This record gives sequence, structure tokens and C-alpha cells, in this order.
Amino acid sequence: MKILRIGALGITTHRRTFAVGLIFLAVLTAVFIFALTMGKADITVLDSLKAVVGIPVGAPGDFIVGQVRAPRALTAILVGATLGLSGAILQSLTRNALASPDFIGITMGAGTGAVLTMSLVSATSLWITAAGATVGALITAGLILALSWRRGIVPLRLILAGIGIGFVAQSTTQYLLTRMDVHDAGTALGWLVGSVTGRTWTHVTVAATVLAVLLPIVLWHARALRTMEMGEDTARALGITVGRSRAILAISSVLLAAAATAVTGPIGFIALVAPALALRLTRNAGVTLIPSALMGALLLLTADQMSQLMPADLQFPVGIFTAVIGAPYLLWLVWRASRGGPS
Amino acid sequence: MSRLEAQHAVIGYGDKPIVRGVDVTIPDGKITAIVGPNGCGKSTLLRALVRLLEPTEGAVALDGENIHRIPTREVARRIGLLPQSPIAPAGITVKELVARGRTPHQKVLRPWSSTDETSVMSALHSTNLTSIQDSVVDELSGGQRQRAWIAMALAQDTPLMLLDEPTTYLDISHQYEVLDLLHRLNERQGRTIVMVVHDLHQAARYAHHVIAMCDGEVAAAGDPTTVFTESLIRDVFDLEARVLPDPITGTPIVVPAHGPGGTQ
Repeated sequence: MKILRIGALGITTHRRTFAVGLIFLAVLTAVFIFALTMGKADITVLDSLKAVVGIPVGAPGDFIVGQVRAPRALTAILVGATLGLSGAILQSLTRNALASPDFIGITMGAGTGAVLTMSLVSATSLWITAAGATVGALITAGLILALSWRRGIVPLRLILAGIGIGFVAQSTTQYLLTRMDVHDAGTALGWLVGSVTGRTWTHVTVAATVLAVLLPIVLWHARALRTMEMGEDTARALGITVGRSRAILAISSVLLAAAATAVTGPIGFIALVAPALALRLTRNAGVTLIPSALMGALLLLTADQMSQLMPADLQFPVGIFTAVIGAPYLLWLVWRASRGGPS
Repeated sequence: MSRLEAQHAVIGYGDKPIVRGVDVTIPDGKITAIVGPNGCGKSTLLRALVRLLEPTEGAVALDGENIHRIPTREVARRIGLLPQSPIAPAGITVKELVARGRTPHQKVLRPWSSTDETSVMSALHSTNLTSIQDSVVDELSGGQRQRAWIAMALAQDTPLMLLDEPTTYLDISHQYEVLDLLHRLNERQGRTIVMVVHDLHQAARYAHHVIAMCDGEVAAAGDPTTVFTESLIRDVFDLEARVLPDPITGTPIVVPAHGPGGTQ
């Protein structure tokens, strides 16, 4: 396998990983342009691109592309990337393909935190919802860790504890909904489905800010993450400060999942599927962060476009759509694990 | 001379000491074997020597300094470790695995250097893996896989190499393949090697220095001929045995006295 080294930056990657990453990026760009131009209003590619960056192109383009399609597509891209990254980190840390934030209850905890915020502060701003989701996700993660910790992380215990805590979080959310003001409950219910419909530039800004802060931190620890996949002893013998790196990476993963959930509501399966697909296509040995993020972006944007292409009475939110695609993959994982294969 | 020592070290998990106050000196440029019955604290001692465990009392000193005061990365540039059950990432090739041994010499924004490349190539060469460097580690034989892990520790370019049961789970020819490799590395590159082994004959034949442990204490330490006596085998392993000279090398061989054909 050929190695590509970008000397000045000290970046090393497989040529195949790099090439596959470029292909992901190309396809993502194509789907993005498709997302901007397809729809009832006929707007040219050039006009749509101008409208995205804020150059006036006239009545329908400025509003439909500039205020509707572009923020929606960009939200899908950023949240998809955030989920892909979050899942890749968690799966790598636990060395388990099932350990994604939506599967082990982190997303549900973020949901509870967000709904609680909505019930306390009526018509709240997105930033406050995001803060609530973050607190909810961190508390959930702390509980999961406390329940599963046995002189180290035991992946199976972590996943089982996570599923349990996830159910508790979901029932808490249900309870909160029954106690909320009817109008707020309606908003919360709509949000809980998980969707990128009607997202604005504020949503794009929140998602972009979180990603801009956390991505460099995560990439800085990418080598530690890869080394820890060889076991704790090996990583420490290779000079990795395991405890610190693992804490930083785990918290980053939880924060990424919380931010994604705050922006779009809980969207399942992207964090579970994207890292696995990225790994399969790049044939990388061990976690591959950037391709996982790109794959997450591509999956969520494509899923949203596909859900929009459905006939009007069959259109449903993207969260339901990703579940339809993701569930068979999950069943396959469980089936393979039950046959004693590597999980 | 010794760069690595344990001084009155009490080592254990929680408040249950497994190693109870040992003084151990690892002779430089030699092969040291740590032997003893299961649960005697061999691996625990090894883990403390490489800073994976901190002694609750006493200390481990590397180059005269408390090893726990030396940063993780700095320790990793002086001591390499082959843990008992390392995990190879799925699909990793031999060369990629060996390249990971360079981790302690790399920084986030520093490019892969020609020194890195040279170390990796020379580690592949010393372990006879050059021709299969592009093979996937999961698909290798047990002996080849163990050699790949040793090559990774070699690429780390440390004067000291510690190995936790490097021959366990290997068939007999692969066990000797690994031991011969360690012997060569010691002879030709002057590396100090410390290994935990179960087979006393292998310890006697390949090590210059043997540390026999029993119940968390050092029962005897020294060259194999002085350590492996019939009374020590009785005390440490609870085994009545005869100690005979190896017909080829003259190093001691331990033969049980009881069992079929022997005294009951």
C-alpha cells in the first residue's frame, strides 16, 4: 500500500485514502449543487452559487437559494460531518462498530437536555438549546461511563449501559413533553423527529462554529487515537499519554454529537454507518477521521435530497429516512456479531 | 552498569501488593530473563519497569532518575515494550505496523523523516520481514506476526527492549525463531533485552542474567548456572527436579524427577 506524505504539514496518509477522500469531496460538491438547483423554481447553477455567497441574483434566487436551499444543504453537510466524526472517534476509542452516539444513548441524552431547555425557556434561541443539549449529552455520557467502568472501558458493558440510559433519557423526554406548554411541546415534537427542513443561517453558524473548534482538537489527537487502537499498553509504551488523550477525544465526540442534535434534532444512523463505510472504501487500517466526516456529510445531504424527491404525500423528515437506510446495516452488524465474527 | 533498576519496589493494583519490595538491576547490553510460577509477579514487575504501573512504595529508576518523573514520550524513546497481547488494527500491513514504532519520535506537524524511514527499513531487515512488508498482519503466521511486533519495538530505536512472554502461544520452532532474533539483536546491536519467559531451558540458554521470582519476591538473581539449582526449583516452583547440563551448550536443563518412569 502506497503512502502519501504531504511533507510541509507532516500529514501522512495512504494514497488510496487520499484519493477516496477526494472522490467523496467531488461527489459531495455535485450533490450540493444538485441540492441548490433542483426544485420547483428554475435557477441556474451559476446563479445558485452566487446566491450562496450572497451576491444578489434577483428575486427567486436570492430567497429560494440564499435563504432556503443553501442553509438547508449546508446544515445537512455540517451536521452529517459532525456526526460522522463523532461516531468515528467513539467507535475507535471502544474498538466497537456499535458504539456510536445515537446507539449508546448520547443523542437521546442531548435530546432530553434540549427539550428540557425548550420547556424552561419558551421560544428559546438555538444557542441556548445547544447548551441544553450539551449538558444533557455530557450527563448521559458521565452516567454511561460510571455504570460501565471496570478498571477501564469494557465496550460491551458500555454499549449495554448506553442502550439502557438511552431508554431512560427517552422516557424522560416523553414525560417532559406531557408537562410542557402545548405550543412548546409542538415545537419540541417537531424538533425531536430529526430534520434539516427550514434550517436557517443561524443553524449553519452553530454547526460550523462547533466543527471549527473541535475538528482541529480532534485531528491534533488523531495519532494518539490510532495508536490507542493497538491497546492501552502499546499506546503508552509508544509515548502516548493515554488518559489525557482519551478524555479529550471522548469529550470531543460527545460535544460533536450534542451540537449536531441541537441543530437538527436527533438523527440516527449517520454516526453509526459513516465511519464504517469510510473504513471499507478507504481500506484504511484503523480509524480514518476526515473520510468519516466527509462520508457523514454525503450521507445526510443525499438522504435529505432523496426524501425531497419522494412524492409529496410520502415525504418524511430525513431522520426517518436515515433510519430506513441504517436499520438494515445495524441488523447485519448484529447478525455478524452473533456468528462470532469481529465486531 | 545499569540504566534500569527497581529499588525496594512494592507494586500492585489497588492496595493489594503483587510485588512486595524488590530490588532488581537490569545489566546493560545483556539479555535478562524473568522467570517464576504463574501469579508470582513477573509481568507486574515488567510493567512497572516500563512505567505502565507505578510502585506504591520504592521506585523504578531509569538512568538514575525516577521513571515516573520522566515524561511518557521521553520514556518511550529509551524503553521499547512488546506487551503480552497487542492488538493489530484490522487490515494493517507489516510496514505500517512497524512504522508505528516511530510514534515517540514524531510530532503532530513534523514530517516523516529519512531517519524514520531508515529505522523502519532496518527493523524490517533485522527481523527478515523485508520481503513480506506489504502483507497484511492478520494473514501472517504466529511467528511472523510476533516478529512484526518485535520489529515495531525495534523501529522505536530504544537501547532497552522489554518483552512480556514473547514466545507464549507460538509452536516450538517459532519460539526459537523469536529467541534467536532476540539473541542476534543483543549480539549485533548491543540492545539490552528483558523478557518474561515460562520455559526455564530457554531462559537458561538465551539469557545472560536470570531473575527468579516467587510470591512477589526475588528468590534468586544471577547467571543461569548459579540460579537454576535443584533447591531453587523446589522452593520457587514446588517441583522436585534434577538439573542437568544441556548436551550442546552446557547450560542447565531442568528435568522433573517425578512422574512416569521417575520417583513418585
